[in-house]
Amino acid sequence: MNVVPLALYFAAFIGYSLHFARRTPVSARLATTMLAAATLAHTFIIGMQTMEVGQVPVFDATSAISMFVWLLAVAYLNTEVTTDERAMGVFILPLLIALQSIPAFKAGAEVRSSVLRGPLFGIHVSSLLFAYASFALACVIGITYVLLFKEIKTKHLGVFYARLPSLQVLDQMNQRAIIVGWVFLTIGLVAGVAFAIEANVPAMLSLEDPKIFVALICWLVYSFELFAARRIGWAGRRAAYLSALGFAIVLLNFVPISYLTSSHKF
Amino acid sequence: MHLLLVGISHKTAPVELRERVDFQARGIELALRTLASRKPGGGSAEIAVLSTCNRAELYLACEDVASAKSELVSFVSAFHNVDPPVIEPHVYDVTDLDAARHLFRVAAGLDSLVVGEPQILGQVKEAHSAARQAETAGPLLNRLFHACFAVGKRVRTETNLGSGAVSVGYAAVGLARKIFGDLQGRSVVVLGAGEMGKLTAQHMKSQGVRQVTIVSRTMAHAARTAEAIGGATAARWEDMDAALAASDIVITATGAGTPILTKAHIESIMRPRRGRPLFIIDIAVPRDVEAAGGEIEQVFLYNIDDLQASVRENLARRASEVDRAEAIVDEELSKFATWLRSRGVIPTVVALRHSFEAIRRAELDRLEFKLSGLSPDAREEARARLDEITHLLVEKLLLMPTEQLKSLADPDTAAMYAEAITRVFGLEETEQKADGKVEPFRAKPRTSSPGRQR
Repeated sequence: MNVVPLALYFAAFIGYSLHFARRTPVSARLATTMLAAATLAHTFIIGMQTMEVGQVPVFDATSAISMFVWLLAVAYLNTEVTTDERAMGVFILPLLIALQSIPAFKAGAEVRSSVLRGPLFGIHVSSLLFAYASFALACVIGITYVLLFKEIKTKHLGVFYARLPSLQVLDQMNQRAIIVGWVFLTIGLVAGVAFAIEANVPAMLSLEDPKIFVALICWLVYSFELFAARRIGWAGRRAAYLSALGFAIVLLNFVPISYLTSSHKF
Repeated sequence: MHLLLVGISHKTAPVELRERVDFQARGIELALRTLASRKPGGGSAEIAVLSTCNRAELYLACEDVASAKSELVSFVSAFHNVDPPVIEPHVYDVTDLDAARHLFRVAAGLDSLVVGEPQILGQVKEAHSAARQAETAGPLLNRLFHACFAVGKRVRTETNLGSGAVSVGYAAVGLARKIFGDLQGRSVVVLGAGEMGKLTAQHMKSQGVRQVTIVSRTMAHAARTAEAIGGATAARWEDMDAALAASDIVITATGAGTPILTKAHIESIMRPRRGRPLFIIDIAVPRDVEAAGGEIEQVFLYNIDDLQASVRENLARRASEVDRAEAIVDEELSKFATWLRSRGVIPTVVALRHSFEAIRRAELDRLEFKLSGLSPDAREEARARLDEITHLLVEKLLLMPTEQLKSLADPDTAAMYAEAITRVFGLEETEQKADGKVEPFRAKPRTSSPGRQR
């Protein structure tokens, strides 16, 4: 079923590419409509899965990725509606397509561990997913910042100069996304610790668990990014690089560690 | 009815002549009212005047093009007190769809001195607004101008004809906007009190920057330039570093033979700024800023050649968009042409409607006798019902022929259809001209009732 939103995300990507090239009102409407349709279809699928299992499907990596893609699509659509800025769609959609390919072609776990129940677990997972979606958005905004920065710095004013908002706006959007992500990452980690203590499973708190270790590294990177932007003037391009690095770590935790290791499985 | 354009522009007349026939200076409203009272070339006195620094054009709906043209040229000569032989060699005139095409191209920015410049559409709107205020814009000119607004809007949204700065000042402002976003609240420091620096600073000020500070080796020069800019402040040369530290944009335009701002100097300025960007525009020749200064993180350094190169690129980009803009002009012109042609059958449509309405009224009058037997309330209700039903019936019967007639693209076919309808329905063409208004066809008075009496 996850193939349907995948196909629609792909159609939206074509729409955003067309809009990036032509910048006509028709292509803009087409792109947004396609993404809205994809998000709507994705919402139905997640809703159906929720009804099927009796809880939001986030307890295995595949379902969590699907939920992450949906959150990122919603967050991006919200950004687009509030800023009327569509140039970043062409950068966001490939990420959505790449990640949605996993739930589209790989079935999620059918059996759920009895340990993974309760409100703290829900807060832990949903906060982290929301944080990761914010970091993904920050990363894409950061990449666009760097592309525009390079054009202005090297005096080759080209496609990005004509299409992207100002460096100042991109920097502010990047910082805002990181702040939101950092707050939810912190809430997610604290909820995870509280859940582990409540569930009385010591393995859940072990730093030897790569997922926990990488999540902490991630928290440190973003904490440093926020500190550096305010205290040592690492705004702009350096902040953009840090947000890209941070999201690379998020992805590492999200895909390879989830599928290639047995960590964080209870 | 014909559409006539008579005018001069930057393509046909030198600036000395364009200055002399500036309608803005002498009053567009006066010109419109004077022309409306004269009705050049006969017709409905629909007139609009488009007057900018690069063109003076008169758009007129008239019956006789040749006489209208000579009357307009005489009027322009007299109105601006310029001898006709001086103006005549520079005047161009086009009619009907060619005139419409010209206005569409003007509104699109295709006929501008700098192709794609954005002000022209606003000026065309002002011309239409002035004609409406002076009550000289009728159905033809209203339709023409609204169509040209659509062309201007489409060209701006669907092509890149107007994108990119095409002057050094605009290029600098465009870059500043791309770095800082909104320029409100930004501060500009100008090093040097010369003309170039002053002009660029004035341009920045007009874009909303909060503060402009002029720094010069001679305080008196700085104060004088600051006063000329208006709302700017002057600072001593010794206070330059403090001014630079507080600024977002620096314009350097001194006559110094060696760089004033070296890389090390800029680094020392950037240190306390904590990554706050600095945009340096070096318009001095020889340059005031060491080129290596542009390597510093968050410093954006552009010299006069960089800005001029950007302007050249933008001009080339605009030129490549001309074909797309021309295609939009063609598309909208085709729609306007269809409308223009449909005007030819309007009198027939109106006559047909009048004829049907007369029949309806006659039949309702005949029924009055039969309704007289009813109570007053029932009679009123029956009358209202009958009126409604017959009205709807007539509207439905006329809908298809009206649409078919209006959609005919070929004028000969349209004339043939109109003639056939006039004969088949017994419409008599009695076009009357009174006070410049064209009366529609009137239904032929009937001597006997067309309906069967029951």
